[in-house]
Amino acid sequence: MPAQPLVRICYVEDDEDIQKIVRMTLERIGKMTVEVVSDPLQAIETIKRFKPELVMLDWMMPGMDGPTLYRKMKEVPEVRDLPVVFITAKASPKELDELRALGAAGTISKPFAPRDLPEQLRAIWKNLP
Amino acid sequence: MNPRSAAPSLAVPPRGADARDSADPKRVLADRVEQLYSQMPLGIVATLAIGGIATYELWDQRTRDLVLFWWGLVLLITAARAALYFGYRNSKNKLAEAGQWLRWLGISALAHGVNWGFAGAVFFPSHTDEQQVFLAFLLAGIASAGIPSYAASWPMFAVYAAAIVLPFAYVLATFGNRLFAEIALLVPLFYLANVGIAYRLNQVFYSGYRLRHAYGRLTEDYTTLNRRLEQQLVELDEAQRQVEASGRKLALFAERAPIAVLELDNDGRIQQMNHAAENLFGWTSNELVEKNASVKILIRPEFHAEFDEQWRQLMASRAPVAHLKIRNPRRDGLEVVCEWNVTPLVNSEGGVVGVIAQGQDITRQMEAEQLKKEFTSTLSHELRTPLTSIIGSLQLINSGVLGEVDKEVAELTGVAERNGQRLLDLINDILDIEKIESGKLTLTPELLTLDELVGESLVLNKGFAERFQVRYEPRGTLLPVQVKADRKRLLQVMTNLLSNAAKFSPPGEAVEVSMEDLGTRVRIGVHDHGPGIPENFRSRIFGRFAQADSSATRQKGGTGLGLAICKRLIELMDGRIGFTDRDGGGTVFFFELPKHGTA
Repeated sequence: MPAQPLVRICYVEDDEDIQKIVRMTLERIGKMTVEVVSDPLQAIETIKRFKPELVMLDWMMPGMDGPTLYRKMKEVPEVRDLPVVFITAKASPKELDELRALGAAGTISKPFAPRDLPEQLRAIWKNLP
Repeated sequence: MNPRSAAPSLAVPPRGADARDSADPKRVLADRVEQLYSQMPLGIVATLAIGGIATYELWDQRTRDLVLFWWGLVLLITAARAALYFGYRNSKNKLAEAGQWLRWLGISALAHGVNWGFAGAVFFPSHTDEQQVFLAFLLAGIASAGIPSYAASWPMFAVYAAAIVLPFAYVLATFGNRLFAEIALLVPLFYLANVGIAYRLNQVFYSGYRLRHAYGRLTEDYTTLNRRLEQQLVELDEAQRQVEASGRKLALFAERAPIAVLELDNDGRIQQMNHAAENLFGWTSNELVEKNASVKILIRPEFHAEFDEQWRQLMASRAPVAHLKIRNPRRDGLEVVCEWNVTPLVNSEGGVVGVIAQGQDITRQMEAEQLKKEFTSTLSHELRTPLTSIIGSLQLINSGVLGEVDKEVAELTGVAERNGQRLLDLINDILDIEKIESGKLTLTPELLTLDELVGESLVLNKGFAERFQVRYEPRGTLLPVQVKADRKRLLQVMTNLLSNAAKFSPPGEAVEVSMEDLGTRVRIGVHDHGPGIPENFRSRIFGRFAQADSSATRQKGGTGLGLAICKRLIELMDGRIGFTDRDGGGTVFFFELPKHGTA
């Protein structure tokens, strides 16, 4: 379990409505600082700049999907070790196994209840080595 | 009816190697007796005639009384023989009494012979030379005439002839005349020669009879065989008609069947195809049969090697192959997807005599399945994403973190959130049941400690219970029993049962959860204080879209799919689900799972 509490989160998501809800939920209920990235191609740059403690990736995005972005992150030393949580609407057990094998910290399935989102993230954070 | 069961066997009773051996000795004897008796009328008439002539020739004043006596004797014996003859003729049981009749005939032959012997012995010395010559001729003739009469029994002839010639030979020998004495020496030779002839004749007769009998038996067997054969031919004919009729029926079925039916030979060449096949593939049966075409004409060239291998396996295994999905090119170049059932026709010796291939055009079905897949995918992603936004926004508003809202607005946003949630539940349930029923749901079983899982489910659903002002409580101690099950799906089942119980319990009541060790299985029960399950709803409670009355949906929420999903999930985990009435009102829903390590 990491020593410091979970505060800084970067969220890569193309759907603006979901972005708003998640940002509001995490900031208002979870008292966290959230940086949202709409374009997955910009994600790695933003992460480098923002230096979050945890990254949330949407599974399905135009341009580049979550798993691909995750693999790209693994090639960049500054962001390689950040814990990553996938938000997914349609992951099959096989795909989830693949993600775990890649080293994903956790998955949250869509639709999620925004109210419970901060708690879910903190639970994942607590279980990190 | 099975025509074979009534068919007589062609087998005949076993026979000796030589048909003559089979002649029944009793029958042969009876036939010989018959033959002997059949000679009697002629013998009787001849005896009377010759006796009459002899009486006339031997008439002499000196021996008048003796000749008359002899003539009387002839008449008496002849009458007795005639009586014997008629007795035999009228006998009812000639076959069984043949021996008896033969003995009587033997006695009659002896008497007959003695009668003539008496004539020779008595009249030869007393009469003139001419009469002696007459007598000698007479006796020789009479003795010889016995051969054909008694040919069927040489001992009878021997007795008969002996009775005639031996007294005569004695008279000759003792006459005191050298010539006569020499003749007397010849008489026994003459006698023996005659008996020999009679014996030979007898043998010939005997084998003749035996042959006749064997032939009769053969004829009889032949007739029986013939009759059986005829009967079998009739039955075979009938069987053939039946086979032909059912063949015609089958052909008609195949011809009119909506699925393509091909008859192939052992090398896969098309022998025949029905209308449906012609329509489906665009070839006529005649075209393909004339071309001596292989069924490979309906398979894309790149798959020919694979087809050859599968065909080889089919010929080797001789086992039917079902549900073979193949993309078949048609004559016009388009392709159809067919599901094939391929059945080798195996004869009674186990050899393959052909192959029947039945193909169903499932192109549309495949398209529909693809469409369904796409629809399901759309439902799961495109519908859930906006719902996430809707429910998320409303939850945020209703949580109060954005500040107080007007009471009436809050009421409406509450309604919107609940109904959004219902819609989401419905989508999730439909996707679940679709997944389960299409066999696409894969469970990830893990070792679970049930009391922990049940405890977790109580905590997770606490909020739901509070909405209905009920509380969840363990009943008795929860047992740390281990099961191998899918954690997420088992929690789903618990959530379903708990929320149902909460919905139908009156406010203020407790919903109790119990665990019971059943040995190899463990039972988890959810006890509610609700109104119970209406009688007419009990049989379909685990069906799809089952709700006791539709107003319940509006009042309590729920999709009517929850219990159907629970039942299928529990069954996928090798368990069973059910319900009982709770003592004192209400219902107990329960499910049982096999305990880990006891199976």
